[in-house]
Amino acid sequence: MALAFDEFGRPFILLRQQEEKSRLRGLDAQKANVSAGKAVARILRTSLGPKGMDKMLQSPDANDGATILEQMDVDNQIAKLMVELSRSQDYEIGDGTTGVVVMAGSLLEQAEKLLERGIHPIRIAEGYEMASRIAVEHLERIAQKFEFGLNDLEPLVQTCMTTLNSKMVNRCKRRLAEIAVKAVLAVADLERKDVNLDLIKVEGKVGGRLEDTELIYGITVDKDMSHPQMPKRIENAKIAILTCPFEPPKPKTKHKVDIDTVEKFQTLRQQEQKYFDDMVQKCKDVGATLVICQWGFDDEANHLLMHRNLPAVRWVGGVELELIAIATGGRIVPRFQELTPEKLGKAGLVREKSFGTTQDRMLYIEHCANSRAVTIFIRGGNKMMIEETKRSIHDALCVARNLIRNNSIVYGGGAAEIACSIAVDAAADRYPGVEQYAIRAFADALDAIPMALAENSGLQPIETLSAVKNQQIRENNPNCGIDCNDVGTNDMREQNVFETLIGKQQQILLATQVVKMILKIDDVISPSEY
Amino acid sequence: MAAMMQPQIILLKEGTDTSQGKAQLVSNINACTAVADVVRSTLGPRGMDKLIHDDKGTVTISNDGATIMKLLDIVHPAAKILVDIAKSQDSEVGDGTTTVVLLAAEFLREAKPFIEDGVHPQNLIRSFRNASYKAIQKVKELAKSIEGQSLEEKKRLLSKCAATTLSSKLIGGEKEFFASMVVDAVGAIGDGDRLNMIGIKKVPGGTMRDSFLVNGVAFKKTFSYAGFEQQPKKFLNPKILLLNIELELKSEKENAEIRLSDPSQYQSIVDAEWNIIYDKLDKCVQSGAKVVLSRLAIGDLATQYFADRDIFCAGRVAEEDLLRVAAATGGTVQTSVNNVVDEVLGTCEHFEERQVGNERFNIFSGCPSGRTATIVLRGGADQFIEEAERSLHDAIMIVRRATKNSTVVAGGGAIDMEISKYLRQESRAIAGKSQFFINSYAKALEVIPRQLCDNAGFDATDVLNKLRQKHALPTGEGAPYGVDINTGGIADSFANFVWEPAVVKINAINAATEAACLILSVDETVKNPKRSGIRERRAR
Repeated sequence: MALAFDEFGRPFILLRQQEEKSRLRGLDAQKANVSAGKAVARILRTSLGPKGMDKMLQSPDANDGATILEQMDVDNQIAKLMVELSRSQDYEIGDGTTGVVVMAGSLLEQAEKLLERGIHPIRIAEGYEMASRIAVEHLERIAQKFEFGLNDLEPLVQTCMTTLNSKMVNRCKRRLAEIAVKAVLAVADLERKDVNLDLIKVEGKVGGRLEDTELIYGITVDKDMSHPQMPKRIENAKIAILTCPFEPPKPKTKHKVDIDTVEKFQTLRQQEQKYFDDMVQKCKDVGATLVICQWGFDDEANHLLMHRNLPAVRWVGGVELELIAIATGGRIVPRFQELTPEKLGKAGLVREKSFGTTQDRMLYIEHCANSRAVTIFIRGGNKMMIEETKRSIHDALCVARNLIRNNSIVYGGGAAEIACSIAVDAAADRYPGVEQYAIRAFADALDAIPMALAENSGLQPIETLSAVKNQQIRENNPNCGIDCNDVGTNDMREQNVFETLIGKQQQILLATQVVKMILKIDDVISPSEY
Repeated sequence: MAAMMQPQIILLKEGTDTSQGKAQLVSNINACTAVADVVRSTLGPRGMDKLIHDDKGTVTISNDGATIMKLLDIVHPAAKILVDIAKSQDSEVGDGTTTVVLLAAEFLREAKPFIEDGVHPQNLIRSFRNASYKAIQKVKELAKSIEGQSLEEKKRLLSKCAATTLSSKLIGGEKEFFASMVVDAVGAIGDGDRLNMIGIKKVPGGTMRDSFLVNGVAFKKTFSYAGFEQQPKKFLNPKILLLNIELELKSEKENAEIRLSDPSQYQSIVDAEWNIIYDKLDKCVQSGAKVVLSRLAIGDLATQYFADRDIFCAGRVAEEDLLRVAAATGGTVQTSVNNVVDEVLGTCEHFEERQVGNERFNIFSGCPSGRTATIVLRGGADQFIEEAERSLHDAIMIVRRATKNSTVVAGGGAIDMEISKYLRQESRAIAGKSQFFINSYAKALEVIPRQLCDNAGFDATDVLNKLRQKHALPTGEGAPYGVDINTGGIADSFANFVWEPAVVKINAINAATEAACLILSVDETVKNPKRSGIRERRAR
């Protein structure tokens, strides 16, 4: 890359390793960037909607936009921006990750046409920004508050079902949606409108059917009792949650015990035994019927526990331990001396369950004193299926969480996009200046999502879209969308296809933001290997 | 013949590249203009960004002149001077880094024909210095003070300055939103040079509208041990204890060793160790603090101990965050838990752990001293937030500068046009060559409005002529007229609130003139090939 030449035609060496760097600038740079962004969007386009297809990547397969993009390991810088775009939708909303990329892609496509006409990229970006504001405000207007109570979960379930529609697991979407809603409500703090998704554990195990997926008001631990002969079922368990091992305590300071006589060795041995004895006795004394320990214990302790009829679980991880403590209302006890009856956790039922013919066993801790920690336990035919279900459930959980935070919804199936497109198009005429073109282009770009939906559902995209658009204007009904499942009605309210307002707004804003960033670049300097 | 027989005198090592004289000077000027061409297109509200991809694979998208110059990795010795002035402008005033590079290059470009015509560089240098002195006087004269206004009014004015800076950046679409945020943040830390009291935290996700200002401190939840979730996450008016010690069960001394002869002593040693940590924890509780923060680890034992007593704790808090909490809450960081008196405890109105995007944040707000502020930035992509942070940094610097020397000038090229006109007028009173040079200096100043037009795609010649006419009006009413970026015409920048702090302009003119003079005064470059060879080998 040569920046300049002197009067003898020799290039200046201005930059380090100048010859090895490549530089793309001006319109070329913008076009290259736009087409990179479009290419990414094109990949994802087909996985939008209930009839969207899945992608198989070597490593887990997925229908979730963020996952596909993350796995693709994109190299182009602009494409990487698109990946981050969908990731940030994932972080914030957790759903609509495909939609946001498709949206950004079509915005770029429209921008390309405007660039060819010689419109300044920043004016395009500014027009887009104005348009996105119009669209977001319009969404606010057409959004509907919907009420749900602890007894009336139906609306929440319906919204989650819309999300699950497009996933591989849609054959039992009803069940999964219910599970997700119940799980979120169990951990939600409705007063503060805060939902800590960390309290919902999603576990999976190969085997069984998807329909066997269940919500456990409690915790599952992928561990079994430390001794095979311990009882497999404990009712009204009182649980001692320990972070100290069943062994004689050790000082943290380096230490050495000098044993020089047989007697001393004997006392040491006796003392050790006494320790074990005391520990088990202590647990028994406070009334514990189950011991859950973060560490291991050696065979001697194990035997003793068995002998005294005190079931125990060892090597339970810190995170699980914490969840168990929260669920059972117990306290984590760091040493035996501090064990008191108040610190014990309570659970209605603790049982060990084995699966099929395998040796796998899991521990269920159910009917806990405080149900603010729940577990979703997924079953499925193969590992891929379970992984995909996990991702789908995550999306559904996020949707439910967003609804608790803000209970406004818009109608899905492209209805919201079409309504925005109409509003933006109408508003465009009021803007003087070049931005008008950009605003109109934005309206066209909004059509891309319903268009992709129709295309993926095997409908005629242009005919369907124009029919629905016409219907929306004629009936002044912003709820008309694409009838992907061929139910027979275009009214998404009747079809019960909802999406959250904040999710949709976020999609539009994020897509606009990233498109602006891409348009604003007019110079790409990179080392030549790329 | 005899002269040819004379042996050649070798002064420098073989292979040394020397070039000197006029040709070298012109070549240096060309190099500088080439560099300035790179950043040229980033100027102004319609300025574009650069995507720079370095060989380590990190990618930066930026509009900030200093950042771009730094990342370009320039090796040309003369062109390096431009990098340095961009840096100095950045550290001195924080904004106007593109302007300074452009001005320096333009001064040189104007000087080039004179050099080619055989004018002695020192003549040019003297005239340029003279002109810059006059220009700065004029800026000071034209600057309007915002001193003496009410606090509300001042805030409004400052946010105009911040908005002008931000308008060229990626977050320009939300400039009012961020400008008022920046003004509030700077207002919160008061005067005093503690820029590190404004924390900027970046959380990917969300849109930039979701960014918010915390009137206090916010930081990401630190690594926590089991038991943490059982702690309360919200307090009103808590007492806050800040520590710089580990609260963990561990050996007290690193290399100590205990020898036991009697196994029954064993328990006493273990108990002693437990007592030490319990004693520490107990003292924390005794102090009445409800929030315990430490720069070092707070172990699982301590976490559970505090959870049992309804106290919130966070270990491994980054040092700058801890210091900020200390400044905000009025507490002092303790290195021991002994003798914790009420005075060293901080307090705030409201403490909460809250979800921000995908992260949980600890937020302290309503702090009594109010000397800190934290901006939590949100955005769609990492590069986006990075660039937003750089832009906000510029805006913060500008606001701080404007608060200190509270004079502003009209932006949008208006001030540059006015100085240019003034210098042209002045030059006519000078007899001699200097008239020419000052005139060309004046012409060079016009590069700012011209570039603004070029970047926006307007006809620069047309706009410039309109501006010249306005500024030449004898009444002086045309002085605040600059480029109107929205319509492609000209407008009163002052009335449209396109404002810059005067100090930015003064510093830019100063730095640019100095750089131009420095490059003009160099007439020989000696490049020692061997040395650079060694350096390269070392670099490998």
